[in-house]
Amino acid sequence: MNFKLTVSQITRTAGGFTRAFGDMVYGASVYEIVRGLHKERSHLEHLFILIVFGDIVGIPVLPPYYTLRLLPYVVPNINGWKRSLLRERDLTDLCDQEIT
Amino acid sequence: MSMREVFDQNPNRRYIMYGGKGGLGKTTFSAATAYWLAKQGFKVLVFSVDPQASLSDIFKRDIFGKGPVEIMPNLFAQEIDADQRIREYQDEIRQKIRDMYGMTEIPEEIENYIQSVAAEPAMEESAIFDEVVDIVGSNEYDYYIYDLVPLGHALYYLSMASVYDQWIDKITGLRTEMEEYSKVANVMQRDKETEEDQILKELQFIKHRINVSSGILTDKLKTAFFFVVTPEEMIILDTKKASDLFAKFDVPLAGYIVNRVIPAELSGENIPAYLVNRMEMQTTYLKEIDEVFAGQVLARVPEFERDITGLPMIERVANEMFGGKK
Ligand SMILES: Nc1ncnc2c1ncn2[C@@H]1O[C@H](COP(=O)(O)OP(=O)(O)OP(=O)(O)O)[C@@H](O)[C@H]1O
Ligand SMILES: [Mg+2]
Repeated sequence: MNFKLTVSQITRTAGGFTRAFGDMVYGASVYEIVRGLHKERSHLEHLFILIVFGDIVGIPVLPPYYTLRLLPYVVPNINGWKRSLLRERDLTDLCDQEIT
Repeated sequence: MSMREVFDQNPNRRYIMYGGKGGLGKTTFSAATAYWLAKQGFKVLVFSVDPQASLSDIFKRDIFGKGPVEIMPNLFAQEIDADQRIREYQDEIRQKIRDMYGMTEIPEEIENYIQSVAAEPAMEESAIFDEVVDIVGSNEYDYYIYDLVPLGHALYYLSMASVYDQWIDKITGLRTEMEEYSKVANVMQRDKETEEDQILKELQFIKHRINVSSGILTDKLKTAFFFVVTPEEMIILDTKKASDLFAKFDVPLAGYIVNRVIPAELSGENIPAYLVNRMEMQTTYLKEIDEVFAGQVLARVPEFERDITGLPMIERVANEMFGGKK
């Protein structure tokens, strides 16, 4: 799996979630929908942290000075992020959405 | 046109920059312009965006990391201490994390991250980039003169602005979408309103900072960008290439100044052969400069007998650039 996402791939990936969500709404209970929403959000959260803090994209994403500015907000996610990176499956899930 | 006319006719151009290859005279001309404007009664700040700043040398005064230092009435100079700013900033971030989560100690993983980011080569540049926003935002001066780094860096600086602007838009888009998910989920659960996404706010703040910097660089009404060139073949070629590139980034080119012109008076005197030779070459290249940059050459500054340091020498350069005392 190659993790060098391009800008457009990343945005398309994000767009993919919107479509997936649209498909999901019909015939689901409120509980399922809400759970689905939270799941999608946490997918995006991971993607966001990978893009901003993980050096997977190949070019510096933000000037490092500004990356540091965002750090306090993702402190609780950093551990989860490391774990999900290790699990790799999560990441391939994210990437497979559009790249394959 | 002359330098003086350019300044007289465009009083709104308050951001002044000199671009050019390494060692051609950017810092010298920045200081001389600051000197001349201050003498005209304007309040001027000349500041360095170069981590290896040399304003201290030219003004013969240690101004590094001291904020704006008054050199003479109306003339202030500043060299940014990027390391200092980074250290203070790291502490701010640590404090913010402690406050936000009620921690007494920063988790090791986070601390490692804070330190490794600060060690990145681009950290220094982006810290200076950010400080410039504060400097020009202060609005305390009539003129802000950027003592720029050599061309390669300046281009990097420019492209950084446009690249990051796009990136932040993309990331902000992603963040907005995340917020949408939370909102919908909360509405369905009949929760209170979603707490505002702090990250989104920060991203918009960062975007604003970057836009201020890059906005100035490309603002034809407020900014004058001059190129320094010398009568040498390679320099002319490189300057031409660079100015084409800068034009692509929409940098408002105000004109060219030729530096290190050997005074013609010398030719009548008994001078060594190598100098005769150099002067013949120079005549060729001065002609070439006038052709390549037709109508845009604003001044020719002679080669002085020694380095330009101290106010009396700076004054001599200023008189050559702006045509004597007013
Ligand atoms: N017309 C001149 N006559 C004599 N010396 C000069 C002249 N112009 C510049 N110098 C000297 O040349 C050296 C380089 O000039 P300066 O520092 O202004 O160049 P720069 O373009 O800012 O260099 P850098 O790219 O390293 O920042 C300095 O020592 C300066 O005093
Ligand atoms: Mg310089």
